[in-house]
Amino acid sequence: MKWKHSALAVFAGSLLGFAVLSQPIETHASPRIIQVTAKRFAFEPAEITVEQGEPVVLVLKSMDVAHGLRIHELNLDIKVSKDATTQAPFTPAAPGDFVGHCSVFCGSGHGQMTLTIHVVKKS
Amino acid sequence: MRRAIQLAWLFSVLSIEGCKANPPGTLETRFMTKAKHSLFIGNKSQKNPIASTTENIAAGKEAFSHYCAACHGMDGQNTGVPFADRMSPPIPSLASKEVQSYTDGQIKQVIDYGISPSGMPASKGILSDEEIWSIVVFLRHLPPAGSLGEPEMYSH
Repeated sequence: MKWKHSALAVFAGSLLGFAVLSQPIETHASPRIIQVTAKRFAFEPAEITVEQGEPVVLVLKSMDVAHGLRIHELNLDIKVSKDATTQAPFTPAAPGDFVGHCSVFCGSGHGQMTLTIHVVKKS
Repeated sequence: MRRAIQLAWLFSVLSIEGCKANPPGTLETRFMTKAKHSLFIGNKSQKNPIASTTENIAAGKEAFSHYCAACHGMDGQNTGVPFADRMSPPIPSLASKEVQSYTDGQIKQVIDYGISPSGMPASKGILSDEEIWSIVVFLRHLPPAGSLGEPEMYSH
């Protein structure tokens, strides 16, 4: 009878241990910081590459007038005041090439001011 | 020699008179409106790729207020634009039947390439395609005349 109790206790302990160890371990990977400058009428760099699922913080700095960056597919909509810096976090869910435009009218070349984000599959 | 001077003087007077921005007559207005709708402004069949959502109307309103409002007013109906009726042809209300009867594709064409002869400039490249289409959406949902006030530049 005693050995039955011991066996049950060992079995229950194993189950508990398995349940605890099989819990997903939360990780807080620090996001990748990418700095982009905006100046009439270009973003620098004009193209960046990130991995699918990679947390990113885009830091946008204006070198002259107010600018913006809008990329619908990535839910990015940033505005930056004259000579200021602003940042926006995003995590690209799907691979692809996404073209963003300056979203604050900044002059004659405003419509050609683009930033392309290439999202590649995680290697 | 005297005749040549007289002719030169007459030519000068006519040239100066011809440069004045006189309002067009009824016949000229009717003829040009018909010609623009059916002949000069193409791209009738292109559809707007942007849906008429609240967000897109707001985006179009924002782009319009930065770029177009100087001549068309914040409301697209010339509110507060002091020279709107001094141009030849006068700046039309964008809520008018004359403008609203263009297709979305035609309005895109007008914004892209402007209208000659008129004061409407070509804006392709100055505005992105997405902004221009969002402006077309906004033009289909214009607010009541005067409801957005006048462009800031005319109130200082």
